[in-house]
Amino acid sequence: MIGDVIKRSLRQRSPVIPVEALLGNCDGSRMPEIVADHLTPAIAQKLIEVCPTSALGIEEREGRRCLRLSYGQCIGCGKCAETGQGAVAVARQFNRCGVAKEQTVRLWDIDGRAEVTPPALNAEEARGQIHSLLQRALNVRQLDAGSCNGCEAEITALTNPYYDLERFGIHFVASPKHADMLLVTGPVTRNMAEAVKATYDAVPAPKLVVAVGACGCSGGIFAGSHAIVGAVDAVIPVDGYIPGCPPTPAMLVTGILEVLRRRVAK
Amino acid sequence: MKEDTPSLFAPGGQASPGTAFTLPQSKDGGAARLVTIFGSLDPHGARRAHYVFDVGKPAYSEIVLPADGLLHSIARELPGAAWHERELHDQYGIEIVGHPDLRPLVFHDNWPDGVYPMIGRVDDVPWSQREYRFLQVQGEGVAEVAVGPVHAGIIEPGHFRFSVVGDTILHLELRHFYTHKGTEKLFEGKSVGDGTMLAESVSGDNCFAHAVCYSQAVENAYGIEVSPRALAVRLIGLEFERLVCHISDVGGLCTDVGFSVAAAYATRLKESVLQASVQCCGTRYWRGIAVPGGLRFDFDAARVAELAQAVARTARDFSKIARLIVETPSIQNRFETAGILTRKAARDLAVVGPVARASGMDLDVRRDHPYGDYGKRPIEVPVTHYGDVMARARIRIAEAAISAQLIRDAAKFLPDGSAFTPITSQADIQGFSAVESPRGELCYWVEARGGRVIRCHIKSPSFQNWPAMPLAVAGNIIADFPLINKSFNLSYSGCDR
Repeated sequence: MIGDVIKRSLRQRSPVIPVEALLGNCDGSRMPEIVADHLTPAIAQKLIEVCPTSALGIEEREGRRCLRLSYGQCIGCGKCAETGQGAVAVARQFNRCGVAKEQTVRLWDIDGRAEVTPPALNAEEARGQIHSLLQRALNVRQLDAGSCNGCEAEITALTNPYYDLERFGIHFVASPKHADMLLVTGPVTRNMAEAVKATYDAVPAPKLVVAVGACGCSGGIFAGSHAIVGAVDAVIPVDGYIPGCPPTPAMLVTGILEVLRRRVAK
Repeated sequence: MKEDTPSLFAPGGQASPGTAFTLPQSKDGGAARLVTIFGSLDPHGARRAHYVFDVGKPAYSEIVLPADGLLHSIARELPGAAWHERELHDQYGIEIVGHPDLRPLVFHDNWPDGVYPMIGRVDDVPWSQREYRFLQVQGEGVAEVAVGPVHAGIIEPGHFRFSVVGDTILHLELRHFYTHKGTEKLFEGKSVGDGTMLAESVSGDNCFAHAVCYSQAVENAYGIEVSPRALAVRLIGLEFERLVCHISDVGGLCTDVGFSVAAAYATRLKESVLQASVQCCGTRYWRGIAVPGGLRFDFDAARVAELAQAVARTARDFSKIARLIVETPSIQNRFETAGILTRKAARDLAVVGPVARASGMDLDVRRDHPYGDYGKRPIEVPVTHYGDVMARARIRIAEAAISAQLIRDAAKFLPDGSAFTPITSQADIQGFSAVESPRGELCYWVEARGGRVIRCHIKSPSFQNWPAMPLAVAGNIIADFPLINKSFNLSYSGCDR
């Protein structure tokens, strides 16, 4: 019986997705992007009204009125794209996974119709650096601080034959004591706050912490609840943020490798 | 759904020392199955307790009692009510007399006594330190094993306290609600449309069932007729979710017994349909699609047909691999007789979904209380009475095949027309809806005024099924616990909300 299964598997072509096709890929994430040419003050106003998590807002930057999009708060609900009259599109590439918190925010000058924030990173250069990191070892411990299980479903997918995280030398481990990196999902609930701190303390230094998903980055749709303490960084220090609700496996791969790259580049 | 059934009240409506009522009977004579119990506030701010029963096809029956005084516990007659009553007490501070175990359920040691979030405001709740007593099993050779809340895998948090003698589990006590996010409270003040986003974040892998159930509750209340096209797409989405969930579960069972080839194969099948879903509708788990009134956007018929083809291919491969799995002797050795949930225990605890159907309870919301497009043709409901891990695996395998069939039929005849019917009414409403989610009967009860939600109760199948798990693991060895737990496949977040 088992022989049949193995034979069957061997007959099929490996579905593994090359790393080049994963980095920056955000298909299926519903992450929005502003199309600056179509931006007007009236549309910007409408956008911030429909956003359920205040991911969209108005912010002054050097005397200019800007539309702010905080990807860490975005749950990809698509309401902005519905009301944006062409000023919002679904992103085709997304390079802000595993970045520092300030880089999860983008600003567009509403009157000038142009983005004022610099690109997150030189994507080509980052890719080159990431390649040199592959096949070293990284032990990851996933920690659910109160998520809805959406992020867990996508993190579990990282071990399937399409993403095959093991090929990069990245393993999921059972104990925080064996981990180099904590991958933390969910808003930190009141009931989990103590366990989150204890888990963080159990990871030997040097350690990396990645906040995963809208809830992990900002509290997401649960921000302000009486039963949550806040985002992951309200409880433990965070090195990188992976937005998305939930982030797709490709975004998770991009984010984990980017956090690693930033650590090595330091 | 009926409301306020006065004949069921004890004489005088609110008898002293607490309100009592006669438990309803089902049409076939036995005690009616408890569906859910929840609290709400009437327009004057007085507390009410709602009891929902399944009295037989096709209606659910609701009893509403004033609850500012005392309530009599029904947990001794219907043990499945125990957690509901504890939650009612934690959320509303309703006094319940005669309850066998009124320890805090939802809030842990950090929550102060006397703070009830569903009545009044809960800003800046102080941190407190109270003590929770676990049940202690005493006797020679009894040891305690504490597991969690952080588990050794990519799983949600929860605490399991085992009392064991050697390898054998004498007793398991659950402590959950680590992922409690106050979701029902967060619904307050949301527009009825925006409530969908919260519903989608209750249980991440069943988000479409939650979104559809919430939407239906609102639609039922406003009397909105959803377009045939939207209903057809919803059916496809609901069955897609069930198929994905069941493939994942059967693969997970293989992981837990070390059958890694089959497990890897199942993850591959699951991923292949998720990717097909991205091609069809731009999302892997069908978030942001359902909304009160229909769908957020229309679907392209050709892409739906492609999805149906991918599903058919996957279902075919899955049924082959599933047969290999259940016919493998070492799998049979681990799955059979492990974690038996007896029919009596399942009935007492009012268990739902594949877990109930594996323990001889013949129930399925799609057939018994049809909604959406389900009333149109007869639906096959697999039932078996063994109640072990193998029975639950076989139920899921059979259901996955039926889901693929339903998707194929629905995609073949996708009706034309619009996919969305706007809701223009702002009337005061109360609505109820039930959906057969992959884990079983899921219910939403929504009350809204002026287009804003003032109360939303979510009865998730996991909340109902978790208390049954300790009964299934008793007498098994502790090494089989992960397997039995996986075979129930309960959502922590869905339970904790």
